[in-house]
Amino acid sequence: MFARLFVISAVVTALAGAVMAAPPSFQEVEESLTCQCGCGLTVHSCNHLQCPSAIPLREEIREHINGGESKDDLLAAFANKYGEKILSAPTAEGFNLLAWTTPFVLLGIGGMFLAWTLRRWRARSSIEPPPVVTTADTSEHRAQLERELRDFDS
Amino acid sequence: MIEVGPIALAAAWVFAIYAIVMSLVGGWQRQRDFIASAENAALGVWGLTLVAVVALLHALVTHDFNVEYVAHYSSSTLPLQYIVAALWGGQAGSLLFWLCILTSMSAVVHLQNRDKNRDMMPYVTATLMVVALFFLSMLLFVTPPFQRLAITPFEGKDLNPLLQNYWMTIHPPSLYLGYVGCAIPFAFAMAALVTGRLDDVWIRTTRRWSLLAWFFLSLGNLFGAKWAYLVLGWGGYWAWDPVENAAFLPWLTMTAYLHSVMIQEKKNMLRVWNMVLVILSFLLTIFGTFLTRSGVISSVHSFTQSGLGPFFIYFLVFMMVISVGLLLWRLPMLRSEQPLESMLSREAAFLINNLVLVGIAFAVFWGTIFPVISEAVRGIKITVGPPFFNRVNAPLGLILLFLMGVGPLIAWRRSSWNNFRRNFLIPGSLGLIGGIVMLFAGMGNYYAVLSFSFCIFVMMTIITEFWRGVRARQSMLSENVGVALLNLISKNRRRYGGYIIHVGIVMIFLAITGTSAFKVEKQVTVKPGESFEAGRYTLRYDSTEAWEDPHVAHLAANIAVLDGGKQIDVLKPEKRFYKKPEQPTTEVAIRSTFGTDLYLVLGAYDDATKMATIQAYINPLIGFLGWGGIVLALGTLVTILPTRAPAPAPAYSPERGTRTAE
Repeated sequence: MFARLFVISAVVTALAGAVMAAPPSFQEVEESLTCQCGCGLTVHSCNHLQCPSAIPLREEIREHINGGESKDDLLAAFANKYGEKILSAPTAEGFNLLAWTTPFVLLGIGGMFLAWTLRRWRARSSIEPPPVVTTADTSEHRAQLERELRDFDS
Repeated sequence: MIEVGPIALAAAWVFAIYAIVMSLVGGWQRQRDFIASAENAALGVWGLTLVAVVALLHALVTHDFNVEYVAHYSSSTLPLQYIVAALWGGQAGSLLFWLCILTSMSAVVHLQNRDKNRDMMPYVTATLMVVALFFLSMLLFVTPPFQRLAITPFEGKDLNPLLQNYWMTIHPPSLYLGYVGCAIPFAFAMAALVTGRLDDVWIRTTRRWSLLAWFFLSLGNLFGAKWAYLVLGWGGYWAWDPVENAAFLPWLTMTAYLHSVMIQEKKNMLRVWNMVLVILSFLLTIFGTFLTRSGVISSVHSFTQSGLGPFFIYFLVFMMVISVGLLLWRLPMLRSEQPLESMLSREAAFLINNLVLVGIAFAVFWGTIFPVISEAVRGIKITVGPPFFNRVNAPLGLILLFLMGVGPLIAWRRSSWNNFRRNFLIPGSLGLIGGIVMLFAGMGNYYAVLSFSFCIFVMMTIITEFWRGVRARQSMLSENVGVALLNLISKNRRRYGGYIIHVGIVMIFLAITGTSAFKVEKQVTVKPGESFEAGRYTLRYDSTEAWEDPHVAHLAANIAVLDGGKQIDVLKPEKRFYKKPEQPTTEVAIRSTFGTDLYLVLGAYDDATKMATIQAYINPLIGFLGWGGIVLALGTLVTILPTRAPAPAPAYSPERGTRTAE
């Protein structure tokens, strides 16, 4: 089983490497850039008739891809030319790292706080109440138990 | 008629101030007369707002183009349903509409509580009227809806063509009902904090209001998605636009609240947290209205921009300071000393669910405002678009989906690992087997595999819950399956309605996964008679046809749809050219088959060469978005309807260690 998993993961890693080395697809780059016409969509999604931004940008993307540039180089070239706002997601460096990391850091802190709180609340009930011993499990008691459980759980 | 509008608004403004002062003084000095007078004034604000709304509607319907709003957002050729929709199509009208919903809900609250919650009501009145006063002030001093023009134009500029769509007639009202609905639990929360009545009375009083707000927020988001899908013509339904995010945020926090509030009702725990969630949800609704109306962050939804932004920010800060101040003041009283009986309990599972929901809400909020932060700190404006939101939220969404399956497997108070393992076995195994089958079938998108596996897992836990309940009723009460199922749901609508909602959410996850991972897109420029492939279909562009009506000119491409060489349909995607304002829009053509859409867009057309640019999308499983919405709505209705007093019935399953039916 583990051998199979190892083979699968090796194949996946190799494929991922191959994909990373390959030039980016046109759509991949289109989705990484934001149309500047004000629609707020990516270049890929903007479908404005004769859009003054998306149409020339698509031409430019084609030229860059035909030039054999990697995705990183290509996006860097667009950011240099049009400014960072053309990228559809923040770069994962410098100040922009905050965009990517803050939600997960806060989620982690929240998780730790929750774990601590739950443990604290759990400690309050560390002294278990003695078990209730019933001498007669009459149908009346059972019906009452069921009623109370239903009320509690509803 | 129009002259009545500003007078009514001015009178409502005075009444609102009166209601605030009298309710606060009455509440403080326990003067019943003052309180009753304040409540009557609140009803007066409602009546006066209705008068203002009727005045504006009258001006719209009668094409009174001397009124700036009417001239700007309607025309004499605009169909009646869009004339009505123009009420919320512009800045001032939408604020008036917001106010109208708020004061209407406020009136219902006051009528409902004539004889109960008397100690809290003055502060409920004051809170609701403070919110109403803010909107009235905006309408009177910043963006008046009844402004007259010096010269009356012959014709209006018309409603933005993008808004002239059926879904846009119901999306804003739904969303506003959701937004404003959040104000009611918020008002009761404030009243509870002021009066110190911090038991669960305010929660029980507002339970249906909270559900109603959540229901309309859900519908508002789904209707908006449907509108985007049909009107924007880019093949998708959610672009993580700031305004979409603004509508999504209170939905997330209200979802968290609807789960955590159960813990307070059952165990009197989480009293601080529930206050935080209610306050947060309300503030997020104001933030959402601010984003939509201020246009502070560039967005396709910012049809209207004005100088409202700073006032919304002041109001937001004011409400935040008041509510957080009250919360801190009452913090010692809010702390509960109830123990958590087990880490393996539904309480603990719900808290993790809350953490993830609030985590997603923060991630969405953070991504929405980060461009503004970046600009403020670095002086560089950046874009935070779909790739960011998808990458950050996909793992969190999957965790949430998984938790939705785990929750029902764990009992309230405590569950034993043995029981948990036993309950987990079948749904977990089926989910796992489903995932393995998908992997071996060649599904390469691991997120999709995980999502579909979790969908199977969650559905199986829900089916198991229903099955156990039905079986218990059958064995104890000898009911047939149908009767047992109906009784099971009707005897505990809240619980089983909740499960039905979960089914709806699973269906929505199916749609999101299908369209995210397996969408097929094709764009071609073809001449008449030429064909191209899109997924399993062959599409043949045959011809175009054009026609005109008073309001809009249409140009449609006739596209024959062939499957296996046989023609099965003709789709007619359109370009529409609105005459006022002169603006082209897209009218997509859709063929739906078992939840999968073939979605065609006429991108461009050259009259000289007759060449047409066609965009074709295959959106797998997208039908589940709408069906999921319907199931979600049904589940909410089941939950929201009053429960009859349950008859004592056997409901305990000893082998499971928790209740299974009822």
